[in-house]
Amino acid sequence: MNLKKYLVRALHRLQKGPGYTYKELLVWYCDNTNTHGPKRIIKEGPKKKLIWFFLTLLFASLVFWQWGILINTYLSYNVTSSLSIGFKTMKFPAVTICNANPFKYSEVKPLLKELDRLIEAALERILQPTPGNGSQDVSPPLDLELWNQIPLVLIDEHDKDNPVILDIFETNQTAVGNDTAMGSKASTSNLPALCPQCSHQGSDNCTYRNFSSAAQAVTEWYILQSTSILSKVPLHERIRMGYQAEDMILACLYGAEPCNYKNFTQIYHPDHGNCYIFNWGMDEEALNSSNPGAEFGLKLILDISQQDYIPYLSSAAGARLMLHQQKSFPFLKDQGIYAMAGTETSIGVLVDELERMGYPYSDCTVNGSDVPVRNLYSQYNTSYSIQACLRSCFQNHMVEICGCGHYMFPLPEGVTYCNNEDNPGWAYCYSSLRSSIKQRQICIDSCKETCNDTQYKMTISMADWPSEASEDWIFHILSYERDMSTNVTLDRTGIIKLNIYFQEYNYRTISESAATTIVWLLSSLGGQFGFWMGGSVLCLIEFGEIIIDSLWITIIHVIGWCKGLQQRRARARYPDAPPTVSELVEAHTNLAFQHEAAGAVPRPEALPPEPGTPPPNYDSLRVQPLATLGPDSDAD
Amino acid sequence: AATAPGKKITARLKRTLPVRGPQAPTLSELMRWYCLNTNTHGCRRIVVSRGRLRRLLWIVLTLSAVGLILWQCAELLMNYYSASVSVTVQFQKLPFPAVTICNINPYKYSAMKEYLSELDKETKKALETFYGFSEGKSKVRRSVDDWNSTGSDFFQQIPLLKVEDFSRTATDLRSGQKRKIEGSVFHKDSSIVNSGDSNDIVGFQLCDANNSSECALYTFSSGVNAIQEWYRLHYMNIMAQIPLETKEKLSYSAEDLLLTCFFDGLSCDKRHFTRFHHPLHGNCYTFNSGENGTILSTSTGGSEYGLQVVLYIDEADYNPFLVTSTGAKIMVHDQNEYPFIEDIGTEIETAAVTSIGMHFTQSRKLSKPYSDCTETGADIPVENLYNKSYSLQICLHSCFQKAMVDSCGCAQYAQPLPAGAEYCNYKKNPNWMYCYYRLHEKFVKEQLGCQQICKDACSFKEWALTTSIAQWPSIVSEDWMLRVLSWDKGQKLNKKLNKTDLANLMVFYKDLNERFISENPTNTLVILLSNFGGQLGLWMSCSVVCVIEIVEVFFIDSLSIVMRRQWQRAKKWWNGRRARGGSGKAPQAGDVERQGHDNPVCIDEDLPTFTTALRLPLPQDSPLPRTPPPNYSTLRLETAFTEQLPDTLELDRH
Repeated sequence: MNLKKYLVRALHRLQKGPGYTYKELLVWYCDNTNTHGPKRIIKEGPKKKLIWFFLTLLFASLVFWQWGILINTYLSYNVTSSLSIGFKTMKFPAVTICNANPFKYSEVKPLLKELDRLIEAALERILQPTPGNGSQDVSPPLDLELWNQIPLVLIDEHDKDNPVILDIFETNQTAVGNDTAMGSKASTSNLPALCPQCSHQGSDNCTYRNFSSAAQAVTEWYILQSTSILSKVPLHERIRMGYQAEDMILACLYGAEPCNYKNFTQIYHPDHGNCYIFNWGMDEEALNSSNPGAEFGLKLILDISQQDYIPYLSSAAGARLMLHQQKSFPFLKDQGIYAMAGTETSIGVLVDELERMGYPYSDCTVNGSDVPVRNLYSQYNTSYSIQACLRSCFQNHMVEICGCGHYMFPLPEGVTYCNNEDNPGWAYCYSSLRSSIKQRQICIDSCKETCNDTQYKMTISMADWPSEASEDWIFHILSYERDMSTNVTLDRTGIIKLNIYFQEYNYRTISESAATTIVWLLSSLGGQFGFWMGGSVLCLIEFGEIIIDSLWITIIHVIGWCKGLQQRRARARYPDAPPTVSELVEAHTNLAFQHEAAGAVPRPEALPPEPGTPPPNYDSLRVQPLATLGPDSDAD
Repeated sequence: AATAPGKKITARLKRTLPVRGPQAPTLSELMRWYCLNTNTHGCRRIVVSRGRLRRLLWIVLTLSAVGLILWQCAELLMNYYSASVSVTVQFQKLPFPAVTICNINPYKYSAMKEYLSELDKETKKALETFYGFSEGKSKVRRSVDDWNSTGSDFFQQIPLLKVEDFSRTATDLRSGQKRKIEGSVFHKDSSIVNSGDSNDIVGFQLCDANNSSECALYTFSSGVNAIQEWYRLHYMNIMAQIPLETKEKLSYSAEDLLLTCFFDGLSCDKRHFTRFHHPLHGNCYTFNSGENGTILSTSTGGSEYGLQVVLYIDEADYNPFLVTSTGAKIMVHDQNEYPFIEDIGTEIETAAVTSIGMHFTQSRKLSKPYSDCTETGADIPVENLYNKSYSLQICLHSCFQKAMVDSCGCAQYAQPLPAGAEYCNYKKNPNWMYCYYRLHEKFVKEQLGCQQICKDACSFKEWALTTSIAQWPSIVSEDWMLRVLSWDKGQKLNKKLNKTDLANLMVFYKDLNERFISENPTNTLVILLSNFGGQLGLWMSCSVVCVIEIVEVFFIDSLSIVMRRQWQRAKKWWNGRRARGGSGKAPQAGDVERQGHDNPVCIDEDLPTFTTALRLPLPQDSPLPRTPPPNYSTLRLETAFTEQLPDTLELDRH
């Protein structure tokens, strides 16, 4: 009841609005609005009125157009970047050190013995094609099983249309072809080595992977075969076969504090065997460095014992190192750098930080939880990175399609690594997956970059180390410290000195901030409206008010028209019956306020016949019949 | 009597002229009307304030607000052409850049023998005379023996001299005679001027062929530099005479240079490389040059997925005087960019694997009016001699070449030929070396104006390289690796490869993050206008409408009032003169000043329209449509204010 009363009162007030015809309303609005243009329209003479009318229209449209532009700008979520450079106390990066060679050859020799003999024989065949040399007879027969899974062949493309394929170990049944091929080798320049991979053993569906160089073919073949062999070896065994920290890290100095191999965290890296990470921050707090310069950095002396390299697996000799953030996995193939044996390598570090705003400004992820790829590197307890995501994505695809995991990447639960015995077609499956552009695109699309990115920019310089004069005593001391013997076990080909330190300016931070905030939007909108028309939000409310008013006028008109129609019908039925007071009053109400605008009265013929004394034209009276209630609806 | 025609005229004017006059008869009235009716906020306060102090305060406030607006808007305008930098890093598939690889030695020495044997002989002779160096071979001895018979063209053209600084005498190598140095002495190493008091300095003399008294002596603190520079001058002279096809044949072929190639996990060969002849580096090979329309791209970072090349550097076939280092030079650049390998190439060591990790950065500057850079180079008055996209370096080189052709009449060997020019050589242009050195000096001292003409390019791509080196092949793999590579090299080469003849190169993306640095205009017109609006609104609640008002009132209306008054004055004066036969005095300025709101007589006389309108009572009822009442808001507002502030109005009236 109360509510109804309130509504009625509101109705009155609305009804009593500024004017009671559209024109009056408009004039009233123009006269009283706070926007600047409309007032002029009604205050000036007819010609100026016209000018002002068009000016106002023009300005209004300008305002709306520019508002559109502003809102569009806001919704494009632009960012501005700020760059700061300087020196501050920063966390020293984690330093991962690996040997370029994953395992000690002396340790893995028993496993790779067969393979090595095979490749030596194959090389012999390739290089000295004349058959019938005695070496094969002396050595025990080759295990051709490994060979037959993925054979190395030569393709003679002398005749482009039907190339002759020659298996290196094929015996005399294709001797004719063999002879011609080998004979032609001397004359033709075009004899690539190939490495065929069959999708199914024994099936004819073979793809030949083409190489332009035999060196590459041999290396690739060896990597494929050795991965297959090593994948069967349990992890602890593989760790044992790799380089041990005490053998590799001979001396360590961080700033003025001594450190040793125990300060390094061991991690098994499929590419490089045992890797050691300094200052990884997994167990203890990360070290801070508050001084620039080589004196306050990390100094290391490493031994890579080049004599113990696996000859066919890695042809480059040196240490592989990488600087990365704490608690992140080192992806050495991507970001690692080499350090050459017999040299001192100095690495000045500049930290490049990038702070990005997340959604909707840019598409990045804070911790990788919203990326639809299962992060396999989380088993190392490392944080998310785009490289981890891409590799996990690849491994997941590999498991899905080939049924086994690739040796170079971590395994999902319940899956084993691929090897030639259990998964005969894996090499084919892997290489087709690896070269598939679609798969790469899927991975690129599903992985997101991290919002806070840290990169280490390095300035690398090298010098010969140790100098000839100091060589003897340095090798002597280092060998003595390693195994307490006076034999010199080190030489130039294995020793590496590393200096890693912060440069004078050690950080450069690029941080993003929103170019357009809501405050910016509002002030720009206000500025535009104010500039062209001197308006504000209140002016918009005024305008809304006028629209409501005109709606009311419409409603009142419609009601009046309906009532008039009803009355006419009623009169048609009872032509003599005098109208009741209420009817009269109602009728009066619906007419548009004679007293204010006589000209606006519509259809005077629709008026009911007036009685002798018209009712007083008070608002209270007028409203009552419409409200049909409210004894206390007072005149206010 | 004089007023009657005036009245008539005004009446007629009023009837005929469609334009209604200004809003008030006099300037002060107009001002008052403006202040009361304007949309800006301060003015009204001035008029309606009570008390002199308050009014003064409001005047000061309004004026300072106007001043602030003007100041702030001027600031906004001045800052309009400013740019903000945005850095975006995006992870995406990246186009692989073009990688240009050259042998440091431009041409096979064995093949060049027939062109260079004379020059080499003389160089060796010079070495022997100056430094007592001899290779200890009979061949050298013999060449020394028939020294005099060959005529020694080279020394005649440019004699090598040993200069003694203090005595200012030079020993000529050929004749062994001493002679006085004339002309000025130029030191190539400008930082070391007369460093040693006892050391002799080696140099050569360049003379103007047309005017032999003009000579310039170029001296070097070290004989190494002097001999190399001297050799290079002659070498360029000789090379300029050899046609391009022959030069290409003399240089290394793709098969010679590239042993193996591997890209993105797949094998590649010489077909993926485009030959490009560089004047100083001979045949260079560009991987992924985009010449056949496709540009390779990588979707995976890391060393396995980049370019991996083994290069054959035939160290034995190096020119001993031209280049003194061994290895290859590479450059990573955009497909549209000309590789200035001599300027910004990276050197690759032999017997090592050089791993180059790339990081891609793309930068974009805003061109005019934000900064002085050029988008395409089309607006630069220097012709681009390289048919590659514009860069500052191209412009500088082209500019120098143009100056060279203009002043020396022939083109320098290291840069491409402009149309209709040919390379300098001694036979045709005996004077060119002197000319070149003079010009080069001017260029370095920025006297040629090239540095002023040439502008930065607005956008450029940059690959930041992280280079690291490891030994390759390792001791244990050296044996088989060299054997297999020799087999690869195969047929043409019968000797076994040496590891110092080989260089392994890996070029790959460290990560697929593209860093895009771009400048954006801080202000657009929309933002400028809304800032204007903000300022105007903040201080005075003003808008364009107000500006139009101001123009209307202060310029059009005020002007029309002034004009009218002047017109009336002139008319009065004219009438008076006519009436009194020229003896009547002209109305004085004081009269005009006194005319105004409080001089009803004057107004009555002059402007019947307004005064009558003011004096007349307002029509009570709806007026006749034919004669609308003068629509002065002044009146209406006055009534509105008399209720609130009667005393203000009282004050005004008096």
